[in-house]
Amino acid sequence: MDPTTAMYVSQGIHGLAYGMILFLVASGVSLIIGMMHIFNLAHAGFFMLSAYFTYQFVAWTGNFWLALLLAPIATGFCGMLMERFLLRPLRGSGVIGDLILTVGVALCIDALVKVIWGTANKPLSKPPLLQGMVHFAGLDYPYYRLFVIGLAVVVLLIMALLLYKTRIGKIVRAAVSDNDMVNALGINIPLLFTFVFGVGIWLAGVAGAAIAPILSVFPGLALQMGMDAFIVVAVAGFGSLRGAFMVSILFGLMNSYGVQFISQLAPLSMFIFMAIVMIFFPHGFFGESEEE
Amino acid sequence: MKKAIKWILWIILGIGLILIPKIFGIYYTNFFVSLAIMAVFSQSINIELGYTRILNFGHAMFFGMGGYGAAQALALIPGMPILGAVLCGMLGGGLLALVLSPLVVRVSGMACAMLHVAFNALFFMLAMKLRPLTGGEDGISGFPIPPFNIPGIISIDMTNPLNFYYFAVAVLGISMWLMWYFTKTPFGQIMIGIRDNPKRVNYLGFKVPESRALVYIVGGSFAGVSGSMYALFQNLFSSDATSGLNSFQPVLMTMVGGIGTFIGPIIGSAFFSVVEELARRYTERVELVMGLTLIIVILFAPMGFMGLYRDLKARWGKAPSLPKI
Repeated sequence: MDPTTAMYVSQGIHGLAYGMILFLVASGVSLIIGMMHIFNLAHAGFFMLSAYFTYQFVAWTGNFWLALLLAPIATGFCGMLMERFLLRPLRGSGVIGDLILTVGVALCIDALVKVIWGTANKPLSKPPLLQGMVHFAGLDYPYYRLFVIGLAVVVLLIMALLLYKTRIGKIVRAAVSDNDMVNALGINIPLLFTFVFGVGIWLAGVAGAAIAPILSVFPGLALQMGMDAFIVVAVAGFGSLRGAFMVSILFGLMNSYGVQFISQLAPLSMFIFMAIVMIFFPHGFFGESEEE
Repeated sequence: MKKAIKWILWIILGIGLILIPKIFGIYYTNFFVSLAIMAVFSQSINIELGYTRILNFGHAMFFGMGGYGAAQALALIPGMPILGAVLCGMLGGGLLALVLSPLVVRVSGMACAMLHVAFNALFFMLAMKLRPLTGGEDGISGFPIPPFNIPGIISIDMTNPLNFYYFAVAVLGISMWLMWYFTKTPFGQIMIGIRDNPKRVNYLGFKVPESRALVYIVGGSFAGVSGSMYALFQNLFSSDATSGLNSFQPVLMTMVGGIGTFIGPIIGSAFFSVVEELARRYTERVELVMGLTLIIVILFAPMGFMGLYRDLKARWGKAPSLPKI
């Protein structure tokens, strides 16, 4: 196989892997906005926290798989605590309170991470099972990235089953479209909010744990991912998981091929794309119009 | 009687501003100047965000235009008066707002906010890359600070921090007063009308997009003034000041102080500056202190300090509480 094809394929796999990670983060943001109308600016902070948890669990136990399981759960639990004790007292007091609170939490996570783990990069090696390349049809694929794509697909399938095939999924979907009505029907909405917030953070946690061995873990992780995730959600439209999925993949591919072909403009391509979309589709591709 | 009290308060404020350098020394005088610059910057965003509900999350662009405008005017044009540089900054901010306004006044809500985030990222990237124009990360520095000159009458050396303090207080005070006056005109009422119910304002025969554009340009111009004062104060303007983070900070200040009130952004920027100064002085964890302070403040005052004040007043049955934005 000639090198050009090899380049296309390997960049495509990088793009897909990043797109999948992006989707895991953005889907949480989208769920939380769609249902609770909260712009969780701390979301990417939790993503980073999970990467650090993964590093810590690996440092303690030496077992990557255990860390991959436990770190997102620990992160999700932190998210639930935040919802229960910080966001719930503020419910009904408007957007501003939520915004400032989540910024405060994001700052705290940033600072705590620096206090506990320092500002240096924390390298995390890939588990031995997933090191190296797969040879297939004359091309090499990095094992770990394929694993990341597979993991994201599995999580996505579980989420889809949960949302569309179970009773709780039905309640969540109903609450996204009208949570007052669901509350009036006797569903414990505050409890549901805590649960959904936890699940959203857990998704970001899975992404953080999965990305930890690819990028080394460092305190600037949150800012980049947070920006990208919010752009995805804005372009896709609030509360639309299908839209978030397509836009994430698109952005992932755009990023990796952009770096290859227009390296000067690559960091800006998402912003330019978003600006064009926002001008012609102010509510995003798949969003419903906001109530004014 | 009430008017007399008001005048006495104004006079006390004036005397206080004059005496600040005498009482606190030069370090705190400079601290106060940067606080005042942030207050004007926050106020200019409050006019857009709080009064008219234009969700501008890219205000650092206009701040940057002001800073680069003033710095380049002083660096390139010999004999540029200092007020001319400030005016150049104001024009720079206003011009950028004029160019962007046809686009941004027609989108509302989240699209407007995200559009600004995108424009801000573009602007920041341009500021980094166009080194001949902006100096990139190093910025423009070392431009001459001319004396404040009224030909034949007076010439005051502006490199002296004490003199610069009085100049800054005058310029920023006048900007603040102009913005206050702007919100008190009949047009100011239309702004609030657009915030609360744009459809109805449109129905009453006012042109909503044009009015929003005007507010946008005024906000941009005053952000330009604060940017140019920042450049003069630091004698340096680098691309850092135009980053998205610098757009977000005045929004936070305005929200913590109380959005949609005139005094809110001033309280907010004072609060932020003081907390940051204290954190820097006594701890090493500025971020942590800021984050915890934000959380604690917002749990007790979800609508900012002015919102808390209004709520307390409303509880005693005197005034309506702050409208929710």
